Amino acid sequence: MDLFLQYVANGVVTGSTYVLVAVGLTLIFGILGVVNFAHGEFYMIGGYVGILAITVLKLPVFAAIAVVLLAAAVIGLLAEAILHKPLKSHDATNSIISSFGLAVALQNAALVVMGPQPQRLNLDVSKIPILASIPTDFGPVFLPQQRTLIPLTMVILIGVLYVILKYTWTGRSLRAMAQHPTVARLCGVRIQSVAVVTFMVGAGLAGIAGMLMSSIFFVYPVVGNMIALKAFTVVILGGMGNVAGAAVAGLLLGITESLTSAYLANGMRDIVGFVIVILMLLFRPQGLFGKVAERS
Amino acid sequence: MKPYLTGLGIALALAFAPFFLGGYETNVLMMMLFFIILAVGLDLVAGYCGQFSFATGAFYGLGAYTAAILNRDMGSPIWLNLPAGALVAGLFGLLLGIPALRLKGHFLAIVTIAFQTIVYLTISQWTSFTGGQVGLSLANPAPLNLGFVTIEMGSLRSYYWLTLAVSVICLLVAWRLAHSRIGSEWIAIRDDETLAAAVGIDTTRGKLSAFVASAALAGVAGVLTAHALRGVTPDDYTIWISATVVAMMVLGGRGTFIGPILGAVFLVLVPELLGKFAEYKMLIYGVLLVLAITLMPEGVIGRLRKRAAR
Amino acid sequence: MTLLSRRQILAAMGATVAAPAIVRAQSGEPLKIGGMLPFSGPASIEGRQIVQGLQFAVAEWNEKGGVLGRKIELVLEDDESNSTKGVTAVRRLIEREKVPFIIGTYASAVAIAASKVAAEYKIPMLSGGSTGAGATDQNTAGDPWFFRSWPDSNAQGEDTAKAIVEKFKKTKVSIIHDNTNYGVTLAEQVTRVVNGVGGQIVSKDGFNAGEQDFSSMLTRLRSLRPEAVYIGGWAGDGANILRQAAEIGLRAQFVGSGSMLSDDFIKLAGPASEGFAVASLFEASTPNPVGKAFAERWRKKHDFDANTFSSLGYDSTNIAIEALRRVGKSDGLEIQKMLKSGMKDFPIVQGPAGATAAFDEKGSVKFPNFIAVIKDGKRRLDI
Repeated sequence: MDLFLQYVANGVVTGSTYVLVAVGLTLIFGILGVVNFAHGEFYMIGGYVGILAITVLKLPVFAAIAVVLLAAAVIGLLAEAILHKPLKSHDATNSIISSFGLAVALQNAALVVMGPQPQRLNLDVSKIPILASIPTDFGPVFLPQQRTLIPLTMVILIGVLYVILKYTWTGRSLRAMAQHPTVARLCGVRIQSVAVVTFMVGAGLAGIAGMLMSSIFFVYPVVGNMIALKAFTVVILGGMGNVAGAAVAGLLLGITESLTSAYLANGMRDIVGFVIVILMLLFRPQGLFGKVAERS
Repeated sequence: MKPYLTGLGIALALAFAPFFLGGYETNVLMMMLFFIILAVGLDLVAGYCGQFSFATGAFYGLGAYTAAILNRDMGSPIWLNLPAGALVAGLFGLLLGIPALRLKGHFLAIVTIAFQTIVYLTISQWTSFTGGQVGLSLANPAPLNLGFVTIEMGSLRSYYWLTLAVSVICLLVAWRLAHSRIGSEWIAIRDDETLAAAVGIDTTRGKLSAFVASAALAGVAGVLTAHALRGVTPDDYTIWISATVVAMMVLGGRGTFIGPILGAVFLVLVPELLGKFAEYKMLIYGVLLVLAITLMPEGVIGRLRKRAAR
Repeated sequence: MTLLSRRQILAAMGATVAAPAIVRAQSGEPLKIGGMLPFSGPASIEGRQIVQGLQFAVAEWNEKGGVLGRKIELVLEDDESNSTKGVTAVRRLIEREKVPFIIGTYASAVAIAASKVAAEYKIPMLSGGSTGAGATDQNTAGDPWFFRSWPDSNAQGEDTAKAIVEKFKKTKVSIIHDNTNYGVTLAEQVTRVVNGVGGQIVSKDGFNAGEQDFSSMLTRLRSLRPEAVYIGGWAGDGANILRQAAEIGLRAQFVGSGSMLSDDFIKLAGPASEGFAVASLFEASTPNPVGKAFAERWRKKHDFDANTFSSLGYDSTNIAIEALRRVGKSDGLEIQKMLKSGMKDFPIVQGPAGATAAFDEKGSVKFPNFIAVIKDGKRRLDI
């Protein structure tokens, strides 16, 4: 039983990354109808920028986070200009292909600039004032501080996002766009700025996830591939465009994978998510929490 | 009659090409033919019928593995493997077509990605059956005994001619399908599914047949590739192959038949010509894809036709 | 590099110093040799390290005046770890560039497909990192066209497994391997040999290369209390596993596959790499004097030490050029004959002192792998 709780905790940590990446992805899809295959690259860039900020620029951790956010916002801006602005009047599959091209270009640009070898962010959380007080033992569960930091950040960021979406003008225009673009435009929502904000938020969330994960895992040019596929799984499970759904589904996928690896076979963990997705799409295409109307 | 004549002319030119070209160039032409079959096959389901698929690589691999496994277990020759590969891939195409009955656009794209990934993980991990990551070896194609003459099939040239003949047959079949009643049904489903159903088109049959046809063609390409390389490994049938084929179709122009062929020719040649820039090859490729879709979303042929129509 | 040191090196290499009658006739035209490696795709990490070994060997030969009186030009092709590409690249190198031999490639599956084609042209290939036993096993005994100047993965697995049980005296062994050809074949061989020499396999787990989170698998492993853990797979994943194992307090003798012996690996794994053991073909601190001299020459040109990848790339290239020199003409068939039997006196930088390019009838070279142990952030052979 003790081990079971440990497995669940491990799942929550990876699941939290899935949430951070998937929420941005589902926002971009839900609001703009863009299927962004380059989303994993936002994660990758976040990781590299974090490493550069901390090891090369020697910035303190919070300043580094700000740098990552800034860089991610710029990348989001660029991505919008490439994936959404010129393509919005065309077939939706165009954005799939275009974002795929962008993903290939970004990965290979990273390969040329950063080299193929994996890199790691040396971040000793126990030496950072506020964060050092995070406990490492939770009953039978042991989590190093670096790991605990990830679900914590996820909860804070998703909480902030939720408040913004719910109570601010920007948030309301985003939601209005998601529900009915034409009506939203009639009501004075500026589509172009909504699109830019959406991409920036999505890139920012994925960038932070990439930075945090690079302190416990590694970053390398193609690291975004698997993360993006996982995030797509989560987005479908949660219902496309559904932020709360993505949050729950992300944690569930993380836990499912962890338990698969613990009790079935480690080699199965990547397959399990895809099998669930296919079953889900066959029997409940609107996702776990989606409304039927969102189909198609 | 004109397209047939043009096609015949090109096929004849290709048939005589090995007499003027070296083995390397012949090999590139052969690779081009594999990808032409794949791109045209994808065009049937994605271009004509509007059902987007990222699973071409999986069907390609299913065909290749069918050939390798049949050859290993029963020593079956390429003549049997070709229809067998088409059949197996076609059956899996039917399987993948079922979700397509309920899903559209992005959802379908993601199911096909999931399917591609599962096929890849299965062939790379089911070691006892597929040879795992090591893959399987195939025997040299047996000489073809026609009674009065025996044709050696092991050489590059004769294998190239076989590939060319099979490609011509595949393209003829695809052309006939696309320009027959079923092809019109596909286009109707793509343009407006509700309307198509309303005027009495069986959309279920239409979509499934597009998936099966597309998958079967990819299966044929897989059998040809497996025998050409005399072996199969999972890494030759990844999602990158799917994505490359999608790019070929899109660059050339979806639903134009000729477009994907040109796309395949272009994207097979470009990396060969970029050889010296190996490091930047994929970067250039990615940028090219973005530019093409942004500036010419309907593809080269689509753009030309549009201009002609104006 | 001074002329003097080059002579010393030649002497150290035991090469037949009887300088060949240098024909300076058509020295304008460089002699092209082929190199085929993955420069894009996941294996580009290794490909880009190995190619430096090729380039180093060619540069050394050219400093000596080239071969047969001509400068050597290394023509490189990217196979993307893809067989279709590999086969095309081989044809291009042979037909367009007229290379007499090809150094390549890293992925065994691609090496197999490509060397079949090269053999048809009577052009030998020398492995550029492919270690899978399958690549040399497919050679016709007595008439190999694919040569590997180091032992295959089965030998590596065997040496590693014996080290676990006999050197480290650990009998309860857990195995973790990635699902690539490399990881799977090594894991199978280690399993077989550990069982054969009295050890016991307590668990065996696969993972997909590039997987990031191993915490749950390692937590389960911890509860099985293995004495040793063998990791077969790519360096990045190995380092990841080591760090996460240290994090959750899984203590055992960790042993890894040959891919995990770069200095990058130690840097990535950090303090978790202390005590980690790895099968090695070459170390900058090698007891092999030829290898040692190579490591010193390398260090003069690069700001980092030579590793297994640089050494194997160097050996393959060096052996092939020497064979070409001995044959006296750019002819694949003649070079293959020379490689088959004529190079037994030619020392290589990999392996223990006295290792030579003595290819067996399957085109492989046999010598024991070193077992290097990481101590104070450095691999050491004397522990």
